[in-house]
Amino acid sequence: MATTTAAVTLTSDLLSDNMSVTASTTCMKAGTTADGLDQIEYGFVEVATGDEYDLIATTPTASKASKLFVKNHSIDETYYIAITQNSQAIGRLYAGDWMFIPADFHDAAADIAITSNGGTNKIEYALIHEGTALTTT
Amino acid sequence: MATTTATLTISSTDLLSDELALSTTATLTGAGNSTGLTGTTGLARKTVSGGHAQYTLFDGSDYTADKAHKLYLKNTSTTASEYFLITVNAEDVGRLYAGDWALIPWSAHDNDCDIKIDPSANDMTLEYMLFTDE
Repeated sequence: MATTTAAVTLTSDLLSDNMSVTASTTCMKAGTTADGLDQIEYGFVEVATGDEYDLIATTPTASKASKLFVKNHSIDETYYIAITQNSQAIGRLYAGDWMFIPADFHDAAADIAITSNGGTNKIEYALIHEGTALTTT
Repeated sequence: MATTTATLTISSTDLLSDELALSTTATLTGAGNSTGLTGTTGLARKTVSGGHAQYTLFDGSDYTADKAHKLYLKNTSTTASEYFLITVNAEDVGRLYAGDWALIPWSAHDNDCDIKIDPSANDMTLEYMLFTDE
């Protein structure tokens, strides 16, 4: 069993009580504590302005406990990628931002897509999952 | 200006032949600028006693559209099979299983862009915090 941990620390002085929130999880397969996610797709791409691209080319098994990490390595603060799933807007990752989300891929149309805005965005991504359907040749 | 940072570490010694040790920090700023995010709900917890049904956690119409809001979520359950199904803009984004957390960018791009949660069992507790770009 592979063991992968994902931890986050959020700090902020927005409130009078300076906050520091931490959380850590071991990335397990759906509904179990006995078996960790054991597959990964990890890459880096440059995405030119304009067109929308599927970030994950394969089709992960639907409705599992997959985790998706995306970071925008762009430096210009006006650059961002728009994240959509199944053509529905989720959010924007501006230069330097990252996200770590559960990814359901509940059917073949539930692709996660990115659209580059402002200029060519440099995107790092990792999908930790428990299986994908490869395209037969 | 307030400063809010988010640091992520993903690590594994046996997922790949090469040890995975990914670490990154983001200073959370507004859309298209370097000003720190200006608002937060603070850290909150909600126990959903009614079980399997969809509940609105944040209403898209309450927040400025197409901004750089960030949402932190954590499923505090310790029962492995229990999850929250997270939906944004009526799209099922993913399942947050026991102990899992997420940091999600949220554009709140129109009134329909709500964030909703659907617990898989009764009496599940979600921890959450929204950082807003208003």
